[in-house]
Amino acid sequence: MPHVVDTWPAPASAPSAVPWSLDGLRGADPVLGFAIVLLVAVVLGEALHRRLHLPRMVGHMVTGALASPLAFRLLERTDLDPWKPLIDLAIGVLVFELGSRIRPRWLLDNRSFALTCLLEGAFAGVAVTAVLYMMGLPLVSAALAGAVAMSTSPVITLSLVHEIRPRGQVTERLLMTTAANCVLTMVTIKAWRVLAAADAPTWSDELIQAAAGAILVVSGSLLLGLAAGWLLTKLSEAIRGVAAAPVLQIAVVILAAMLATQWKLSPLLALLVAGMTARHLMGHMLIVEPHLGSAGAALGVMLFIALGMLFTLDDIVRLWPWVLGLVFGRLGGKALAVGLLARPSGLSARQAAALILALQPMSSLAVLLTADTLGWSEQLPGIEQRVLQSLLIATTVMHVVGPVLAQWALNSLANECPHASAKEP
Amino acid sequence: MSLAEFTPSEPLTLGVELELQLVSNHDFDLSPQAQDLLRLLGKHAGTWDVKPEITRSMIEISSSVQREHARLRAELNDLREQLSQAARRLNIGIAGGGTHAYQHWSDQQIFPTERFQYLNDLYGYLAKQFTVFGQHVHVGCEDGDKALWLLHALSRYVPHFIALSASSPFVQGVDTGFDSARLNSVFAFPLSGRAPFVHSWEEFGQYFDKMASTGVVKSMKDFYWDIRPKPEFGTIELRVCDTPLTVDKAAALACYLQCLCSYLRNEHPYEPADDDYLVYTFNRFQACRFGLDGEIVDPKTKQRAKLRDDIIRTLAHIDEHALDLKALDASNLLRDSLFEGNDAGWLRKQRARGLPLSAVVEGAAGRWMG
Repeated sequence: MPHVVDTWPAPASAPSAVPWSLDGLRGADPVLGFAIVLLVAVVLGEALHRRLHLPRMVGHMVTGALASPLAFRLLERTDLDPWKPLIDLAIGVLVFELGSRIRPRWLLDNRSFALTCLLEGAFAGVAVTAVLYMMGLPLVSAALAGAVAMSTSPVITLSLVHEIRPRGQVTERLLMTTAANCVLTMVTIKAWRVLAAADAPTWSDELIQAAAGAILVVSGSLLLGLAAGWLLTKLSEAIRGVAAAPVLQIAVVILAAMLATQWKLSPLLALLVAGMTARHLMGHMLIVEPHLGSAGAALGVMLFIALGMLFTLDDIVRLWPWVLGLVFGRLGGKALAVGLLARPSGLSARQAAALILALQPMSSLAVLLTADTLGWSEQLPGIEQRVLQSLLIATTVMHVVGPVLAQWALNSLANECPHASAKEP
Repeated sequence: MSLAEFTPSEPLTLGVELELQLVSNHDFDLSPQAQDLLRLLGKHAGTWDVKPEITRSMIEISSSVQREHARLRAELNDLREQLSQAARRLNIGIAGGGTHAYQHWSDQQIFPTERFQYLNDLYGYLAKQFTVFGQHVHVGCEDGDKALWLLHALSRYVPHFIALSASSPFVQGVDTGFDSARLNSVFAFPLSGRAPFVHSWEEFGQYFDKMASTGVVKSMKDFYWDIRPKPEFGTIELRVCDTPLTVDKAAALACYLQCLCSYLRNEHPYEPADDDYLVYTFNRFQACRFGLDGEIVDPKTKQRAKLRDDIIRTLAHIDEHALDLKALDASNLLRDSLFEGNDAGWLRKQRARGLPLSAVVEGAAGRWMG
């Protein structure tokens, strides 16, 4: 999870502050503070959902943002640290579930869709790179922003699917495309490192090292994912207990994520492949509990609060043209690829529009998870601070707008949410 | 609206309609992707047709007019191949079977057409519960009187078709104990059951006019009878079969009906009577509940017999007609299935191996798609 780039100083609360005042809350134990924020998030998420039909996660993220230094500064971003293992687990399980949810064979059965998966990310990356470069940013930095902009947030996508339970072609394509563009982003960031090293005039050792490192990370992550999926299968066969199955899954997810981090591989790719492998080997015996039941629901809320706490709008007055360039370049790139290949891949124009909008959620997690390790910012030397900040602002915007767009697209445009209009008890 | 004229058609010609399940390749529950599949099949190469059905997780396919088993089978296999190819492009599966083993009716969405919306408004939740999948077989008749005679003469054999085609033991995740639970859903409709016992097309027209004047029916489509005349096509339509798990079985069942019709028309083994229907619902229940192991009562002799034995005897009686109609392969397939068990038995065997119902549906989709 987030190795946060900033280091806000923790404010010292006034000793005389009453506990229910802002200063009093700021001085409270961070764990207690986070628990209070958790309660508020649940209430706000539910209220926004019932009154404005917004996805609950928006309320959770807004709560995180309100508690963060962006607004009331009730919690510091470093206060997330004690919760980090749980948040990591929530992300890991969602990524593993995404892997188990997709069927790679589909890409062979529908080549046009396979091409869509490849091109929607690629076009988005190229469009963002071109737009930012034309706006005067250095090519290397613009290319990194392009690489990051390729991906759709797997966490937001899967959480939305859990919440609104859509069924249909757009949903299936959204899940597959999200998985594909996350992998593509990871590979592209590796390639970016190679390109960055190639600034040297000759085929230097550094370039060879970077290329070899990229190949190692991709193949190592694949192997680790295969091994984790195989291990889960064998252990499940040995135990054969329905009650033990979620525990085994959690253990394997933690193991794979930890090993990937330790060996400087990609946790995202490893967990995706682990999910796919487990699904392939276990078939119907693999039951990935959505959100791991009620305990998992709490994990989900924590995750979105944490994402909200990472929101930043610093320097937006100066950076807004680049932020807009990034958001609309990304939208244009994805729209072009999905639109061009809609008919050959079997999608109607309306469904294509729905898919384009549903692919918009963008998350800093995409950046963090596609890095070798969680300390991603240190691994990208030479990146311009203004590019990084523009990326974070664009991410903040798409965190809030993306889930709303995606929900509207799946529900109203694609008509894939039969229960959306049903009255809740 | 009055009853349409009965359009004459070539006797003993065949047409087959199959209602099929569209399932997700992820959880093998029903998937509302009929419009997507229909769009891909818009320019299919074939003389067959594909249409929407009442909910978005179903489609209906229909063969062209056929005369022989081999051609019908070839066409259904071509249809199956093209449909499967399109389904794979959408990452969905297509399965036979009279019910989906664990779909929930409230999850289903009505296909957006005026007719289906009307049915939804009229029947309420029954419309969504009608997410069941049947095979309908049309047999050509030269005139309305002959069609009605054949319709009533065939009533004695309705349990045969139910038991042979039965493939709906599971409903809403539970083994119902029925081999064909699908027909219980059909029975919930007020205009289901059997056609009134009238001999001539003129009498039938009077009956239809009376019903239409009550406002209860608008067209023949509003009758959900087990066998009903279809005047526009010049056929009678047998509607009791569950959709089998394979198209070969579907073709064989259609040709069994063709041979039976030939036998009845040419040999007149008995004259249908209103009293034949005294045992009709009992026999029908036995076939639905116990399949080939059910016991039926012969409406003429009042003798009880095992359905399996009755079918064996009937197959022997119609062999000559099967030979003439080039349908011996169909008869043999059905004869073999009497001992192997029907599709409901196959589905139960999968479940008995300890497979979850999703795996049972996957197996069924595998058998249909090949």
